[in-house]
Amino acid sequence: MHPNMSFEQAPPVWVPYRFFLTAPLFGIVAGLLLAWAGPAALTSRWTPEALALTHLLVAGFMLQAMCGALLQFVPVAAGANIWRPGLVAGLVHPMLAVGVSLLAAGFLAGPGPWLAAGAGLIVTALSGYVIVVGVALLRAPVKGATIVALRVALLALVVTYGFGFTLVQGLRGSVGVPLVEMTNVHAAWGLGGWSLLLLSGVSYYVVPMFQLTPAYPAWLGRMLPWGLLAVLLLWASRLLTGLAEGWLSWILLAGMALAGGFAVVTLRLQAKRRRRVPDVTLTFFRGGMVSLLAVVVAVVAAIAVPPAPTFSEAPAWAVTIGILLFVGLFISVITGMLYKIVPFLNWLHLQRLGGLTIMPPNMKEMIPERGMVGQMRLHFVSLAALLLAVAWPPLTVVAGLLFAASCVWLEWNLLSAVRVYVDFRDRILAADACHAPG
Amino acid sequence: MTQQLVIDGRDMQPPEPLEQTLAALDTLPPDGEIVLLLYCQPQPLYQILRRNGYSWKESMLADGTNEIRIRKS
Repeated sequence: MHPNMSFEQAPPVWVPYRFFLTAPLFGIVAGLLLAWAGPAALTSRWTPEALALTHLLVAGFMLQAMCGALLQFVPVAAGANIWRPGLVAGLVHPMLAVGVSLLAAGFLAGPGPWLAAGAGLIVTALSGYVIVVGVALLRAPVKGATIVALRVALLALVVTYGFGFTLVQGLRGSVGVPLVEMTNVHAAWGLGGWSLLLLSGVSYYVVPMFQLTPAYPAWLGRMLPWGLLAVLLLWASRLLTGLAEGWLSWILLAGMALAGGFAVVTLRLQAKRRRRVPDVTLTFFRGGMVSLLAVVVAVVAAIAVPPAPTFSEAPAWAVTIGILLFVGLFISVITGMLYKIVPFLNWLHLQRLGGLTIMPPNMKEMIPERGMVGQMRLHFVSLAALLLAVAWPPLTVVAGLLFAASCVWLEWNLLSAVRVYVDFRDRILAADACHAPG
Repeated sequence: MTQQLVIDGRDMQPPEPLEQTLAALDTLPPDGEIVLLLYCQPQPLYQILRRNGYSWKESMLADGTNEIRIRKS
């Protein structure tokens, strides 16, 4: 039987929506920044533009969407009470948005006060967020693979922003840190820990539920969080022990085997889905999993193909892998989930408001199907253009504009769902007012 | 004889089984029964049924199907 969800403790709909509506705005800024910066931005992962772009995507787009989703998901899927979600969202959301904007501006302007202020705001916001969500997860009455994955993911988030804050101090010259090695550890915990584990934990619920697939195998849920945690700890130990490149390659390969395993299992489950109708979320998910497998192939090739370069010596590999991970995997999957979660939340909240007397609009009327399909095509075209731009830099400006346009379209689609919610909510409230005793 | 309506929601995407069940409640005669087939326990539906004076019985079938029989209390 599939996992059950309880909506008794669901937060007000504006709690997740404020995060969801902000996420694509960072994608728009990232796309425009890439178009403005031009081919120089993608020549290496270390250019100021590349660092700003990376953080606009991971801490702007991805983190906003993930933080909002978790505030909704933890009470509903884990039955865990989150302390005053409205207040938490009201503080964390603007602090994160301003913090990431300052951080990106700081990367572009050089290691000055903007960078420090941005990092400080992000760390403050996330620390409060982690405490509130962490307590809820520790007290969760529900057990199982999802809860374990979410707990380890939250731990990885702490490690990620801890290293991130230290790196900012290092860039500003306040402390001496091995910048390249620590950046690799920071990125691994953020992408392989926080992001991938959160994605897996949520997938155990939403893939069988919305895509009508068999349940994920129990062994995957047991192996993935602890396996990835072990890999990430070993990967981080390079900072203390100065591990040889050969050992690091083996650790990286173990991490790729785990990530690739998750992608293969997800694709196999989707191939066994019970209702074979076209579905935007399914296609986004498949695109994401294929991108993850492409990352695995690229990393293995970077390690195994002579002259076996490290990432720092092969900038094209690193930039390609970054595009595949940020845009190909995570933003694809997040967008696909938003297209399912937002109409679903609209429907549930309106149904609760209207009771049995006023039925909410059908799920399919929340966001026009044509709009979602069109946006999805533009998203994948922009992904292809971004990947091609690494090999053929004159395409960079077009790729940036295409990505910005796909994020504008996503924002428009989400806003159309919000408009449906507000219109219908107002109709229910007006009907209630008419029937209220005078 | 009890009028029975079967809703097989096993191959439907949420919240389609919920939508169909709520629509069926509108026309359910006093002695009628809705049989809803799902692979999960639909907590949102149970909340609605509880609030609106309906009772339900669950039974788990061998293939993992949750058979839910809904009646007016």
